Amino acid sequence: MIRKKILLLGDFNVGKTSLIRRYIDNTFDDRYLTTIGVKISKKILELHGLECELLIWDVEGATPRKSIASSYMKGASGAIFVCDVGRSETMESLDEHIKTFLALNPNAHYVIAYNKSDLLSVQQKEALELSGNTFLTSAKNASNVEILFTTLAKEMLL
Amino acid sequence: MKNIQLILNAILSKNIFEYTLVDRKLHVVSASDGVEKYLDRSPQKGDDVLDYLPELVGNEEEVKKIFVKRYCLYTLESVYKNDYYVNISIEYCDQNMAIVLLHNITAVTMAKQNLLQYSNESTLLYNTLQKVVDSQNALLFVTDAEKILFANKKFMDYFNTVDIEGIRKKKLDLYKKFNNELENYHELFERVNDREEHIKIGEDTFIIQATLIESTHKLFTLTKITKLSNAMEIDPLTGVYRKKYFDLKLERLLKTKRNFALVVVDIDNFKTINDTYGHPIGDEVLKEFSSLLKQSIRQDDLIARWGGEEFLLALKMDDLQKAMDRIEALRQTIDNHGFGTVKHVTASFGAAWRNQCECDDAGSLLQRADKALYKAKNDGKNRVVWKKLEKRGEKCII
Repeated sequence: MIRKKILLLGDFNVGKTSLIRRYIDNTFDDRYLTTIGVKISKKILELHGLECELLIWDVEGATPRKSIASSYMKGASGAIFVCDVGRSETMESLDEHIKTFLALNPNAHYVIAYNKSDLLSVQQKEALELSGNTFLTSAKNASNVEILFTTLAKEMLL
Repeated sequence: MKNIQLILNAILSKNIFEYTLVDRKLHVVSASDGVEKYLDRSPQKGDDVLDYLPELVGNEEEVKKIFVKRYCLYTLESVYKNDYYVNISIEYCDQNMAIVLLHNITAVTMAKQNLLQYSNESTLLYNTLQKVVDSQNALLFVTDAEKILFANKKFMDYFNTVDIEGIRKKKLDLYKKFNNELENYHELFERVNDREEHIKIGEDTFIIQATLIESTHKLFTLTKITKLSNAMEIDPLTGVYRKKYFDLKLERLLKTKRNFALVVVDIDNFKTINDTYGHPIGDEVLKEFSSLLKQSIRQDDLIARWGGEEFLLALKMDDLQKAMDRIEALRQTIDNHGFGTVKHVTASFGAAWRNQCECDDAGSLLQRADKALYKAKNDGKNRVVWKKLEKRGEKCII
């Protein structure tokens, strides 16, 4: 079976752990408990007739005083960059996270999650201009969570 | 091999390390008994170590370098495994074997997590508060005695700077804009605390308010009122109310049952000052004069410039005698003050006491105060004259 390492990267409290929990266990808890270090979850997918085990790294979020450890990023096939649509600073720091990640994994694929979309009105959602690899997600109401992960998995396996 | 065993026994005696030995293909050679608590199950000889440590997936080649470069070390910190936090490190044993050490750091990591949780929540709160203060239309700034320590975005934008360092470099010394004699922000606080004072910065007029945060730190709020104030409220030269706005306030005051003294103040021989020293000095006298009056009245008293060198005061007092004493004290303050170039300035005061007689409206009060001022001037200036309301039968005679 193919094993692929993917990471969820972004600033702290953008909902990385919640996205994984929604994807793996289909649960949600809105209490904020900060992640420290890294925790790996597994999910087996079948895509294009191939069985693949996704090793999903839930990595401690970046803070103004601490960036994400590069040792966690090495050897990844893909990444999901997550920001909080209610905190513009988390959207602004995405470019820096992507740049750091691609410097270590130049051949890796990635998608972007504009998370906590349940906090936006319909008009606000419509006003957002999203590129092809960006998804408006909500771990709370499960919106676009499945497609976020499977899109990345497909890109990695193609 | 015997030496390695001895080392491992020493390590294990600390009870915080477990290990797995792996060969060049990263297959398990042996493992310590306690390793099971981190890996779910006990690794068997020949198993692929990646089945137990998926954290190594993607880094297999890097790990295998250990067999080539013996001083190479692979480490991965703070990995959550089976309710434990471990550091994973892989080191060279011999050319065919490496040791995977699992260092239990749960206790220290949990403590770190508590700190990180607190720190992240504080950062979120700070960011939220920052957004709150940045969203205010007023200019907010916090100071110690000497310098500005924090300012909101509106403040930064107004003074055309992006950070607090930029503000410090500009040496704004805003207390001097309020009064050139003030030495620091503590003195500014003493002057504007619990009041609604005005401050002129460049061409703009602001209401300045102060709030005590700590004895060492003060919050100041500047609310821009230039357009409104210039249009109707504030006399731009002296920073006190215009007559029109004073009238509105006076009407409101008359609707209450408070006693107060209405005073018309006129600077003596002001024309001579203008003629002798010029109008700019005359303007300085007006500013200093109004500043003295403002300092000498209470927060809820009213002051306005009627026009020229004439000012209006409404002093809220319960007792007529006390009001008389206060106004006489005001006259003496001016008489004893050193007025820059001009040095000595006096003023005449015409005062009327508000009682609750039906006919005592704004017009009659003002008329009496004005008549009293006329008498003060005629009697030799630099004095206070009161004009009482006279009653003849049912009629009030002004």
